[in-house]
Amino acid sequence: MSSEPRGSSAYRTEAGGGAFFTPILSARGVTKRFPDVLALDQVNLDVEPGEIHAVLGQNGAGKTTLMNILFGLVEPDEGVLFLNGEHVRFRSPHDALALGIGMVHQTRRLVSAHTVLENIVLGHPTASGLLHLGSARRDVASLCTRYGISINLGARVWQLSEGERQWVEIIKALYRGARILILDEPTSALTPPEVKTLLAGLQAMVADQGVTVLLVTHKLPIVMAVSHRVTVLRSGRVVAKLRTADATEEILVQHMVGREVTFRTTNHAAPAGRPLLQVEDLSAYNDKGLLALWGISVALREGEILGVAGVTGNGQEELAQVLAGLRPAASGMVRFDGRDVTHLSPLDRWRMGVGYVPAERTEVGSIAMFSLVENMALNYHFDPAFIRRGFLDTEGLDQLTQRILSTYSVKAPNQQVRAQHLSGGNLQKLILGRVLSRRPRLLIAHLPTQGLDVEATAFVRATLLEAREGGAAVVLISEDLDEILTLSDWVAPIYEGRFPAVLPQSEADAETVGAMMAGHFA
Amino acid sequence: MKLARYELTLQPRAAPGPMYAVLTAVVAIVLALALSSFLFRSAEDGLFSAYRAVFSYAFFTPRGIVATIQRSIYLLLCTYAFLVPLRAGLWNIGLPGQVFAGALAAFTVPFVTEALPPGILIVLMVAAAAVGGAVVGGFAGFLRARFQVNEILVTMMLNSIFFWAVAYMIKEGGPFMGATAEGEGFSLPPSLQAPMLLGVPFTAALALAAAVLLDLLFTKTALGYRIRAFGESPPAARYGGIVPLNVSLVVFLLGGAFAGLAAYHNFAAIPGVYKIPGNYGFYGDLAFYGIITALIARGSAVGAVPIAILFAGLSLGARFAQGLLRLTFGVDYALLGLLMMTFVASHILYQFRIVWRRVPAAVVQPVPTGLPGG
Repeated sequence: MSSEPRGSSAYRTEAGGGAFFTPILSARGVTKRFPDVLALDQVNLDVEPGEIHAVLGQNGAGKTTLMNILFGLVEPDEGVLFLNGEHVRFRSPHDALALGIGMVHQTRRLVSAHTVLENIVLGHPTASGLLHLGSARRDVASLCTRYGISINLGARVWQLSEGERQWVEIIKALYRGARILILDEPTSALTPPEVKTLLAGLQAMVADQGVTVLLVTHKLPIVMAVSHRVTVLRSGRVVAKLRTADATEEILVQHMVGREVTFRTTNHAAPAGRPLLQVEDLSAYNDKGLLALWGISVALREGEILGVAGVTGNGQEELAQVLAGLRPAASGMVRFDGRDVTHLSPLDRWRMGVGYVPAERTEVGSIAMFSLVENMALNYHFDPAFIRRGFLDTEGLDQLTQRILSTYSVKAPNQQVRAQHLSGGNLQKLILGRVLSRRPRLLIAHLPTQGLDVEATAFVRATLLEAREGGAAVVLISEDLDEILTLSDWVAPIYEGRFPAVLPQSEADAETVGAMMAGHFA
Repeated sequence: MKLARYELTLQPRAAPGPMYAVLTAVVAIVLALALSSFLFRSAEDGLFSAYRAVFSYAFFTPRGIVATIQRSIYLLLCTYAFLVPLRAGLWNIGLPGQVFAGALAAFTVPFVTEALPPGILIVLMVAAAAVGGAVVGGFAGFLRARFQVNEILVTMMLNSIFFWAVAYMIKEGGPFMGATAEGEGFSLPPSLQAPMLLGVPFTAALALAAAVLLDLLFTKTALGYRIRAFGESPPAARYGGIVPLNVSLVVFLLGGAFAGLAAYHNFAAIPGVYKIPGNYGFYGDLAFYGIITALIARGSAVGAVPIAILFAGLSLGARFAQGLLRLTFGVDYALLGLLMMTFVASHILYQFRIVWRRVPAAVVQPVPTGLPGG
């Protein structure tokens, strides 16, 4: 933690080499609490004019919250902001925009049926009332020339690639007079060539036009490629401030992941069972038609947990779906119990003993408007034990539901209540209980403890271990590195659709896995 | 909406009971009747005599009751044709097209052969009507499931295609042209006219039995469960191993079959018709009232029975009152249209509770919502 003086309305910070400068934007002692979570704890951040400043951290480190505070979307509980040494307070993004701070969010906020120009002009302070698209077109066109951006202003946004949409957002911010650009995970949806173009464009803007860029990311190669300085956040605290030139990917990983020793609970050397799952050179496309899995290979025996560790959006969803049969494989093979199941339907896989606990509990794992008993039928409507001459055995399902409610201590008034009235943790326990009640031989659990409280998390983890004891193979996909390291027999970091390595538990430590998750591997 | 210190908000109802569904339906109907008073303003004998004319003809005259029952069977079968795909979250707007296809298929049977015993021919006609409607419906279901082609567009276009297909078949020179060549299809011989049960066509029993069976299907069977699950949440259904292609196909086949049966009933079972009439387009339009009926009944086939009867009676009674009281043309359609609108409005009452909330005086600025997660 730094120890700069606080409370003065203007101050100076010592930069390397003894030169003094006034930061163009700085945050002092910023603290933000959300219910149950301390998102930011006494954070100090200084951004020099005309630099690309990377804010690095794992998911949940507080990066986005900090940026939302700098953009006026969220007000801090404590702490102050300074712009050019002046104390400022943002009550809304309008205040931030008026002072030249623009933000490009992780998710696009464009009207896809409108043209590029219309999107850029939309919401501009001078655009209320009558639109003067003619003069706006001239202004935007000259702005694009100045910044060296080439884009067809007449194109409809739906016609653009993801990379071009990103540029529309950037132009929109510049058109409103932004001199400081906050980019939140700008590369997450882009293809590698688009990333290259984006980074080159940002560098040119900074070098030629003196724009200041705050780049929020968890990808180390990007930080190393373009940033001048880095601030690393971990669990809501600033743990390092460095010049990129002085940093290496290894150093950044250490700061990002921390050096805590992890306590392991799975060291009871279970006898390895028979080989159950073989994935060979598996590739798959995502919904946009881009390759999201690139030649993944891994093998798993009965009674083993494979932990797939990665930041969301690196191909985990696609991996889970391909294994469950919900997404076709582009190439490669999935073998289950010696049988090629690559092209089998989800139903066939359920019948063979593949159980899937999806990350999306409310959209995929359950049906909000159905009662708990009806939700139970989601995994039983094809089971001969619960069908009599085409009729569902409601009584049997009712008893099953009751059993799961009590075994998994799901808090629900009764089993006729709709699933939408259950809290996240209780719904998750219900889904997990439902899937496990089928006694699956392979369990795919995607983000099984996301958003759960401590107690529910412990319960879910214990349940996964129990399933493993019972001889099931488990593929645990999680963002929580501690969770992966605590539970897994094998650890596979996932980065941009690849497994850089599949490590046995003994070789998997937070540093190695964390580095691979962030794209640092040989 | 804001009024001084108070704010009008809509709060979602937790789980509205079946009584509430009935109540909102009644509110919608009463409101529609009240609003329709302006339609009757030209009635010379005053408003209430107009309402009386509508109801007394439809429900209290011997001829009117029979006509009401016959039309309600038609509406009911059309309702099922919309209701079954609706439970899977799909919109079958192709009722007229499927009705026309069912009619053509049914009349193909006597056109091809009259050599078989009449009993067998009648069964064949019923089956052909169902198959004809099912094939046309299933086509839309298949395109939807296999290629994600919007079912609303496909069924709408099929409506047009089969409208003209019927015209081709029955108008001058068409193969199904009647003996008098007056732009209608040929008449069924008396032996092939549908048998009557208690003074109404046997299709009435078919329609009522289907109501019970459909509700059983949806509440108790595995197939019904799959259809409902798919209708509530396609991704969850897929996750649970339900095959979208199968569901879309099944509901459109079944829905189309009901539309085909409606055609059989309307053109081959109602006394005095027994042919594809020149104004078959009118019955195509009428089929759309199956949509409103299904929506008001909230997907319950048994619940649709009284609504179909009411609609049948209102459409017949309003047409009768129009002639009797010299009302403007189109009163019957206007009345049904009003019903549709008040129903849509009552839907809000069903799902939301209207609440006046006092705005706390200390509120400065609403906190921006929709923050991306950190």
